[in-house]
Amino acid sequence: MALLSLPVPAIADSPKIVSLDYGLASTLLSLGIVPAAVASLADWGKWVIEPAMPESVIDLGSSWEVNLEILMALKPDLILTTPYLDASLPRLQGVGKVLRLETYRPDGGAILPSVIAATRRLAAEIGREAEAERFLAQADAFFDECRARLARRPRPSLALVNFMDARHVRIFGAPGLYDAVLTRIGLANAWTGAANYWGFEIVGIETLARITDPDALLIAFEPVPGDVLPKLARSPLWQALPFARPGHFAVLPARCCSAWSTRPCALPG
Amino acid sequence: MTTARLGHHAGPAAIAAALAVIAALVAWLQVGPVLQAAPAEGYDIARMVLLYATLPRMATALLAGAALALSGALFQQVLRNPLASPTTLGISAGANLALAVATLFFPALLGFGRDLVALAGSALAAGVVFAIGARRGFSPFSLVLSGLVVGLWCGAFSAVLLLLNERYLVSLFIWGAGSLSQQSWDIPLSLLPKLGAVAVVSGLLMRPLSLLDLGEGGASSLGVSVTQLRFVAVAAAVALAAFVTSAVGVIGFIGLVAPTLARLAGAHRPRELLVWSSLIGAALLWLADGAVQYFAGAFSDFLPTGAVTAIFGSPLLLLLLPRLKIRHRGVEAPRQRVRRRGLDRRLALPVLLALLLALAVGLLLGRGLDGGWTWLDPRAANDILSLRAPKVFAALASGAALAVAGTILQRLTGNEMASPEVLGISAGATFGVVVAVFVVATPGLSAQLGFAALGSLGVLAIIFLMGLRSGLAPERVLLAGIALGAMVDAVVGILSATGDPRAIFLMRWMSGSTYNVDAATAGAVAVVAAVLIGIAVSARRWLDILPLGASAATALGLPLTVARLMLFGLAGLLSAAATLSVGPLSFIGLMAPHLAREAGFIRARPQMIAAAAFGGGLMVLADWAGRALAHPYQIPAGLVSALIGAPFLMLMLRRKA
Repeated sequence: MALLSLPVPAIADSPKIVSLDYGLASTLLSLGIVPAAVASLADWGKWVIEPAMPESVIDLGSSWEVNLEILMALKPDLILTTPYLDASLPRLQGVGKVLRLETYRPDGGAILPSVIAATRRLAAEIGREAEAERFLAQADAFFDECRARLARRPRPSLALVNFMDARHVRIFGAPGLYDAVLTRIGLANAWTGAANYWGFEIVGIETLARITDPDALLIAFEPVPGDVLPKLARSPLWQALPFARPGHFAVLPARCCSAWSTRPCALPG
Repeated sequence: MTTARLGHHAGPAAIAAALAVIAALVAWLQVGPVLQAAPAEGYDIARMVLLYATLPRMATALLAGAALALSGALFQQVLRNPLASPTTLGISAGANLALAVATLFFPALLGFGRDLVALAGSALAAGVVFAIGARRGFSPFSLVLSGLVVGLWCGAFSAVLLLLNERYLVSLFIWGAGSLSQQSWDIPLSLLPKLGAVAVVSGLLMRPLSLLDLGEGGASSLGVSVTQLRFVAVAAAVALAAFVTSAVGVIGFIGLVAPTLARLAGAHRPRELLVWSSLIGAALLWLADGAVQYFAGAFSDFLPTGAVTAIFGSPLLLLLLPRLKIRHRGVEAPRQRVRRRGLDRRLALPVLLALLLALAVGLLLGRGLDGGWTWLDPRAANDILSLRAPKVFAALASGAALAVAGTILQRLTGNEMASPEVLGISAGATFGVVVAVFVVATPGLSAQLGFAALGSLGVLAIIFLMGLRSGLAPERVLLAGIALGAMVDAVVGILSATGDPRAIFLMRWMSGSTYNVDAATAGAVAVVAAVLIGIAVSARRWLDILPLGASAATALGLPLTVARLMLFGLAGLLSAAATLSVGPLSFIGLMAPHLAREAGFIRARPQMIAAAAFGGGLMVLADWAGRALAHPYQIPAGLVSALIGAPFLMLMLRRKA
């Protein structure tokens, strides 16, 4: 979903903004602002990849324990954070103005509208409303295009997973961002079971037998640990599942973060 | 004689049978509907799940339960410590570290098999423990202590890797919480021959172990080599636990609970204990896993069996405690030359200077924006000192407080494994924070402190209530603490294994970070710690007499129950104060008293003062290193202190052979 973060040429002399969250940092880039510093920058190239973060950006340390000595030295105009990091809020407020944006809520409201609202709030705060509207319109148009292209073909339901080890997967369901986007572009999520409010669930691989659609596809995100596929090949149960048939299982490169995922980004894996 | 023997077997047999019957009923709830349904034509996924998921899972539960319980029974028998269990010798911690390192740096290794990597880690950890233990004839004291230290070190190292790479290691959480989920017969079929072979060896050990029960002198005179026997028995116990752990992950509590149940039911001789522990363990894990699946089905949540077992096993152990007759088989402490008087005084100045140096480094040396090393810039001194000073002084005060608490507990209980963590105070505080995370979702600092204080006070109150009923038998208090600690670990384990992001918050809290300490907290902790340490030092006569044993203490006119109550209370308050400011750092409280004693401070007062200096200084340095070394990332002080202190203590243990 890197397409949601189309790079916009950066504008010089922008306010000095730091982000404690990958998703918000990525949205900043999409709105044409290069953040002064980002938390957990060292892993950006592994988990976010696109958009690329310019060299000038400083690493703030772990988002859980932002390096306050660096933060104080930077004197930022605005600190972007999520409710998830509320434990550090008092310390952050001592350093500068804090904007706290929320997309995943315990009451489990629809995720896409909530993400769009958060993008607009951020844009309003930094005076980039026009860029935000352009960006949102692009994303919307892209979704529509996907939907139109898919409408012309048969549409099997999809199960999206990460392999944790040779016996367990993390499977993505409602109300997560993946599930919301699948629905938006007219695809069905094969996993109708429960998921936590960030939209995923860890289950034993045998639980995949609960997926009843015989034509469902299984999409696994990289990385797939080395022992998984050989072990599965030896499991009669896996062999009996519909995904073991040729053409029903694919591995995709990982892009755990999108411009909008203000929470799953900070999630493990 | 015959009836007596029969009596010995009747109790454990009844428990094992009862557990097995309930487990079979629970299993039928799962299996029955599938068997009764008419076989479907073609795609019959229900039958496939039964054959290749449900049944192998049950077989794994039975095998793992029996092996872990047998391992625990062997450990408790040989190490003569009711607290010993398969986790004691650092086996699972070693495996965990090996898996973390392989996942992060050598992912190709996992392709050979996760179990091989884990097994190699266990073997390495056990090898280090044995290498230290061999110098001291595999004495229980040296094995338990070095096992604990190796385990702590591996645990701290994995935790550091985890905190610096939190996104990578979710698979480790699942492994650490012990899931029995299966998709083929591979695991039970490969476990069966390995466990069977070790079980046969254990069977051969029963007779010599019975002789060891007569006491070491008696066994030696009957021609049993105590050293060799201990080595073989511990090696067998390690192998059992390592095989199971490498295959399915950490299922810690069975190894502690099953032998305890067997002993409560009347199994006392080694033969009875080993046989019935295994059977009870098998039935117990089968039942626990069945129940987990039944309820997981109802809630459709992932519940890792190992962690759930601990959540239900801990209260069970707490309930059983008052009935447990713990034979106090005092652990023989290492004989030490009593040094000449005056040495304490000559060492005092260097220790003080080192402490001041640590404080100076902690306050003044740091890293700049570009990552280069810099001394404190006078222009920014106010800002930076306002950040550093609370951390440094909180680290100093809480390190000293934990060290004194540890000294008191080790003297009070005569158990070298005693530390504030074992007492359950830290677990209580952590439990408070766990509750806070669920009630308030994202608790601020004051909410965290409030809930943590409530948790610590709750545990203190429970200890006192238990004390009123049982005269505060130290072993019982320690076992209660271990049970509580295991329960908290299990809750965090389940949260992390299900991928709940709150787990990372809790893990950070449990790693002992000074990050959230502000000036007010630091000041309060410093004052409280100073007052409490003063009181502890003035109680030196009690602390000198208590290690001589209960009868000697009573003969010398010590009011036993009152003394124990007050000292437990003092240790509890000290650890609570430290825990509230820098999290439940267990390590300093365990290590500083040993460091002080190994350095030659033997009597209560010098040991406490030296331990406080060592503990405080080590914490200050650990806090500084944690802030500076991985800059801009920060490693919690508690973990760093374990990483530095543990090898140091291992060297000391080896030198003092």
